[in-house]
Amino acid sequence: MLTRRATRAFISPPSDPTPEVAVKGRSLWADAGARFARNRAAVAGAVVLALLCVFAFLGGLISPWDNETIDWGMLGQVSTVGGPSLETGHWFGVDETGRDLYARTVQGTRISLAVGIIGALVAVGIGTVWGAVAGYVGSRVDNVMMRLVDVMIAVPYMFVLILLMVVFERSVIMLFVGVGLISWLDMARIVRGQTLTLKNREFVEAAIATGVRTPTIIARHIVPNLLGIVVVYATLLVPSMILFESFVSFLGLGVQEPQTSLGALIAQGASQMRNDVPWMLGFPLAIFVILLFALFFVGDGLRDALDPKDR
Amino acid sequence: MTAFLIRRLLIAIPTILFLIVLSFVLMEVAPGSPFDSERGVPQYVLDNLEAKYGLDRPPWERLGLYVWNIVTDFDFGPTFTYRDRTVNDIIAQGFPVTLTYGFWSGIAAMAVGIPLGIVAALKQNSWIDTLAVGFSVGAQVLPNFVMAPILVLVFTLWLGWLPGGGWGGGQWNYLVLPVIALSTSYMASIARLTRSSMLEVLNAPFIRTARAKGLPMRRVVWRHALKPAMLPVISYLGPTFAFLITGSVLIDVFFSTGGIGQFFVAAALGRDYAIIMGVTILYGVIVVALNLLVDLLYAWIDPKIRYA
Repeated sequence: MLTRRATRAFISPPSDPTPEVAVKGRSLWADAGARFARNRAAVAGAVVLALLCVFAFLGGLISPWDNETIDWGMLGQVSTVGGPSLETGHWFGVDETGRDLYARTVQGTRISLAVGIIGALVAVGIGTVWGAVAGYVGSRVDNVMMRLVDVMIAVPYMFVLILLMVVFERSVIMLFVGVGLISWLDMARIVRGQTLTLKNREFVEAAIATGVRTPTIIARHIVPNLLGIVVVYATLLVPSMILFESFVSFLGLGVQEPQTSLGALIAQGASQMRNDVPWMLGFPLAIFVILLFALFFVGDGLRDALDPKDR
Repeated sequence: MTAFLIRRLLIAIPTILFLIVLSFVLMEVAPGSPFDSERGVPQYVLDNLEAKYGLDRPPWERLGLYVWNIVTDFDFGPTFTYRDRTVNDIIAQGFPVTLTYGFWSGIAAMAVGIPLGIVAALKQNSWIDTLAVGFSVGAQVLPNFVMAPILVLVFTLWLGWLPGGGWGGGQWNYLVLPVIALSTSYMASIARLTRSSMLEVLNAPFIRTARAKGLPMRRVVWRHALKPAMLPVISYLGPTFAFLITGSVLIDVFFSTGGIGQFFVAAALGRDYAIIMGVTILYGVIVVALNLLVDLLYAWIDPKIRYA
């Protein structure tokens, strides 16, 4: 109870011009929801994003082909009969080895979304704990932890990710973890800054006075109050995770066949550009661009909704 | 200033050491030896090969030797796949290519992004502002691996104006597409950043004072607004350089420029650890050095920061 009230006092602007009236109080999240709903671009982005999720997770059910089966009738004449068509059931056409591009795009979108979300979760998890501990414990611990972040943040992580993928076989799990491990550093810095402003507040003092142990204070009083800012940065992380993954997959160092991702599909389409098969590049590219646009709009909308000071 | 420089160097050195040890440890735990693909070779030949490359010694000794050779001779050791060349030869061959278009990409991103952002801020809500904002929003979803195929499709396959790959000894027409593909998204970020920071500065009281004194707008912008407005842009340059360097790997591969990224990806696929490590460390050093440079630039331009 104490934490919730404190959150509200902390986040709502200090000089509210409207006089205090005895109406039903609005929670921070309800307020944010209303602000988000007023932002048309963000709502449109959310709708598109929901449609893409349906496409990625249920789109495979309605397709007559799966992402591994080779349509032998197409081989050798992909550029003439392999194009998008309703009769053959290849709605997005086939790739250069005769596999159904629709099924592959569905599967690739699923991987990209999963990498984005799981990568962001890994980054947020590590970053929040690291930053909260450093900020709350303070003094020498803080110094050591944040200098470590300073050192690591200067490393060009794309190379480390590629290294990880080379060393530990190119599995999807490794990709999730590696992409997440790249990005927790900024999160740690943001969370630490926020923790520093929180830790001298009355409710933390009260917790200390009643003898709550430090780990419990961090878990029960500090971290819940960081939620707003964490959510905002997490949604901004998702598209950059997807970009990372697509970059690595484009180089052929990401997910392995028969699995694919949007980056790998774009690379494949790009390598076939000269053979007059524009659908191989067009469909994955379009899905990718739409997905990123939607994510950026949703992220911006959430930031405006949860952090109104920033506008 | 000197103290600040020393402190920054004290962070830079462990950063590079961290990178070296990290890549070394990763390579160490990697399964397999570089000579696994040699078939039907007697054991004593393999032993000799390992001895030749020093692989029979304990890991900490090799790490020490590796670091020592880099520090004293800038020597990254022999490669395993190109038997007649060392990692240094590979770097010497590929690096100038990557550096050339990487340099032009950085220049292009700043030379277009900054003026575009300034003009957009000065003429807020005009058509050029709309154009700049539209460009910077659109370019967010056009990273290099999306730009590169589109550019080749349009300018090489449809229009036939520019070559879609190769290096041609560094002639300008081979440079155009890689530079555009690499710089577009950073150009957009810089334009957006410049615009918002310029708008903020233009609304500051000291600008109003300067206008009230009767200074012409041109002079206000040049003498008073530009420097403070550039601060966020400069602090963004550090990450930009890092991204440009990473992005160059993809450009090298896609355009077959013969740059260092091509060797890097080939080495990553072929598990040639010596090249992977050498390139990773080289790029790490460059990123750290550029970050240092950006920090110094920042200190020089910002009157409030003197890093006493």
